[in-house]
Amino acid sequence: MNRRFLFVSVVALLLASLGGLSVDAYHLQFADIDGRRVFLRWMQPTVRYSINTRAVPGVTTAQLQSVMARAFERWQNVGTAAIGFQFSGVTSAAPLEFDGLNTIGFLDEPELEGLLGLTLTTFDTVTGEVVESDIFFNSAEPWSAAADGETDRFDLESVAVHEAGHFVGLDHSPLGFFEERDGDVRLAGAEAIMFPFAFDPGNIGLRALRADDVAGVSSIYPDGGFATATGAIEGRVTLGGAGLYGAHVLALNVSTGALVGGFSLTGNGDFRIGGLEPGRYVIRVEPIDDIGVDNFFQDPSIPVDVGFRPTFLDRFVSVTAGSTSGNVDVQVATQ
Amino acid sequence: MVLKPADLGTLVGSARVIVHGRVVSLRAQSSNRTRIETLVTLDATDYFKGDLGREVTFVVPGGTLGRYRTVVSGAPQLAEGDEVVLFLGTRGPALPYLIRLGEGVFRVQRDARTGQRIVSRHPVVAESSVWQRVGRGTPASPLSVNDFGAMVRRLAGAAR
Repeated sequence: MNRRFLFVSVVALLLASLGGLSVDAYHLQFADIDGRRVFLRWMQPTVRYSINTRAVPGVTTAQLQSVMARAFERWQNVGTAAIGFQFSGVTSAAPLEFDGLNTIGFLDEPELEGLLGLTLTTFDTVTGEVVESDIFFNSAEPWSAAADGETDRFDLESVAVHEAGHFVGLDHSPLGFFEERDGDVRLAGAEAIMFPFAFDPGNIGLRALRADDVAGVSSIYPDGGFATATGAIEGRVTLGGAGLYGAHVLALNVSTGALVGGFSLTGNGDFRIGGLEPGRYVIRVEPIDDIGVDNFFQDPSIPVDVGFRPTFLDRFVSVTAGSTSGNVDVQVATQ
Repeated sequence: MVLKPADLGTLVGSARVIVHGRVVSLRAQSSNRTRIETLVTLDATDYFKGDLGREVTFVVPGGTLGRYRTVVSGAPQLAEGDEVVLFLGTRGPALPYLIRLGEGVFRVQRDARTGQRIVSRHPVVAESSVWQRVGRGTPASPLSVNDFGAMVRRLAGAAR
């Protein structure tokens, strides 16, 4: 069996095991300020938050407090990240008010039909330091705080873990896929908590962090040997020799199936995917043409290129601890 | 932000107004409700549903005031000159708002290879009789803004 055939076979097997999932990556919240790229992060090691007193059918204030504690714990317990959270009490202050409190609670937002939760983060554009972050859940939707979920109610914990990810500085990941039928669309799978769509009511399958989420939070608050225990892949995505902006690049660990990824984020098509466990990786590049690009890109000045075919790099990439595998160049073709 | 998945027909049904145009101005302001929000004005060139006149101003959460910026993952970062198709809701005397934030924005851009004006996202139109996976990078040609408009009008007409 030659190496190329072996590679193609392994890719086919991996995709089969994923149900054909188009894979992807973590993405950090950032802003380009005066020519500098500023990544959002908290400067203090422990961030305090308050819980609004309002209850809704299916969720008491105490249950909301417990759910948020569990949601933050999932991020706090990542061994390669150093960020902590502390409950500072209940408050009558509403989420979204600019009051110096990091407030979490329910709000009536009937105009936000279809939206389950939202995080607003305010930061200092000079330092990148987050100064306040609030989370709200839309009380117009039916919620459940039950451990096993409830039929016809959205799982609060799943949405809370996602919003807590924004709270720490993560943006959305495109690592998920949909199914459609006769006027209906549903989430069929996700490999990142930070995928911005929910499973159907009653489904509690998206509470635990995935490899993509762990790599993301660890890259913002590295600790526990993150830099020395993991490696990175760097390269370019090009079409006809020109760099592509906004191409989604996925690294799939051949041994573990862990998926971590990122985007090409320069006009030159440069990408970097960090936080990878040592091992061999399959690299895939794909356009994000099924979800609004505004879910992923804060900078509208460069059009995101989506007019190309999903493409696999025709070789494995080996990642070793504490180093970067560079010059991983993927050439894609038009559709 | 976490959304319930929706197809194009649901978006069309939820929107009171669907407009194609170009962003001509943005103005950030402070708001007790959302800290910083941005008023965006669009020069409307075509309406696919409803009509709010030659110019329409709507509100988007987030923006920059002084040295502080409020970001909302999932909300669009629009800029002057952006060509877009917007799905807007209205509620009483308040300013129109985007349906589902960034999901209510279809950006229009010139295809560098064909020169055609295309929407940057393939809308999910759920018409299969059995559950089917929605693929990425499907070999279908990019959707021109005119074809997209025709699709939206058809769905809006069917919903009446």
